[in-house]
Amino acid sequence: MQERGNVLRILKETREALKKGDSATIKSLSDQTINTASLTQDPDNIAVAVIVYSLAKIVERHQYQEFRGWKEFYNSVIFSINHAIKDLEAGNDNKIGKDFEIINKQIEKLSGKLKKYIEDVFWKARINKASRIYEHGISMEKTAKLLGITMYELANYAGQARIDDVPLENTLDVRKRIKLAIEMFG
Amino acid sequence: MKQQKAIIFDSSTLISFSMNGVTEYLEKLRQVFNGKFIITFDVKGEVIDRPMQIKKFSLEALKLKQLLDKKIIEMPSSVGLNDKEVARRTDEILNMANSTYKDKNRNIHIIDSGEASCLAVSKMLNEKGFITVIAVDERTTRMLGEKPENLGKLLEKRLHVKINPNRNAYNFFKGFRFIRSAELVYVAYKKGLIDLKNGDVLDALLYAMKFKGCAISGDEIKEIKKLA
Repeated sequence: MQERGNVLRILKETREALKKGDSATIKSLSDQTINTASLTQDPDNIAVAVIVYSLAKIVERHQYQEFRGWKEFYNSVIFSINHAIKDLEAGNDNKIGKDFEIINKQIEKLSGKLKKYIEDVFWKARINKASRIYEHGISMEKTAKLLGITMYELANYAGQARIDDVPLENTLDVRKRIKLAIEMFG
Repeated sequence: MKQQKAIIFDSSTLISFSMNGVTEYLEKLRQVFNGKFIITFDVKGEVIDRPMQIKKFSLEALKLKQLLDKKIIEMPSSVGLNDKEVARRTDEILNMANSTYKDKNRNIHIIDSGEASCLAVSKMLNEKGFITVIAVDERTTRMLGEKPENLGKLLEKRLHVKINPNRNAYNFFKGFRFIRSAELVYVAYKKGLIDLKNGDVLDALLYAMKFKGCAISGDEIKEIKKLA
């Protein structure tokens, strides 16, 4: 696990915010994960980014707490984060992938609407985080592979996220580029 | 003897066309293009082979496969390139690109094999005397080839770290030329290949490409429309 200290802090603060049902804080913590994930491209760092963002979305939707299976899901999340924190503190970084698996296994056990909604939140979180990493300057293909999504999903999402209005990205005058295209077809 | 031409397509550009349901424009453009449209093995994997297994995108993948079957887009072997040599040059470019920018601890990996393979094929064809451009809608590869110093600044700004670029690598990436789906639909529009009427067709086409991932700004779209 790279940037261990930072990840440890984020997981501890996420756990506290989860207990208070404070989705805004979790969302803010999720934003803090994206630099590390873009920089290190470490699968565990990326997993933290996806999980924390998903939890922010899940906590925000209070109605999920009314569905059957919520309590078991919530407990598994706290259990998983507790283990991840313990393992990071003990220097057992290689175990945290397994710690996060606890959440996936619990989602598998869910049924009905809650299962569908939570799976959807986690999948969309991958696409959202991919879009953010792409925004940070990592290529579309590289980012899609890091997040395990298709380039179709990322292109569609990134296209609507309006991330291309940054002056630094204008690397050739558009008239010159048009001229180049016309010359090729001339 | 007239120089041969080739447009090398990255996944991102093919995706913009297929997700907008306008792959027939590529077919029409190919008919008026005096050269080849090339895709690499890695790009084929990203836009056809893998999405064919995913129900949500198998239609888009099938449309692109049809272009390949009809030889509208062709593999590098069609222009005499050896697959193993393409793979070797792709690795070389990938290693160079992914060690161009470093923070204090590590190299920042910026591109992947499909994008690198487009650069490799372009370079190899240039060496054979072809005139080439790379059609790429995603912006990292384009920035690396056109203004690598800007990409360094973007990484620094977004990642909040000091970036140490390998400026020798900047020279390695000089000379690549890039267009996007936006310029391709502009050419199609100007050549009368688009049979839509009764509306701001060019505006619709350009924004459709932008919304499916073509890295183009609103200002650039305005500029392109002024040229029409």
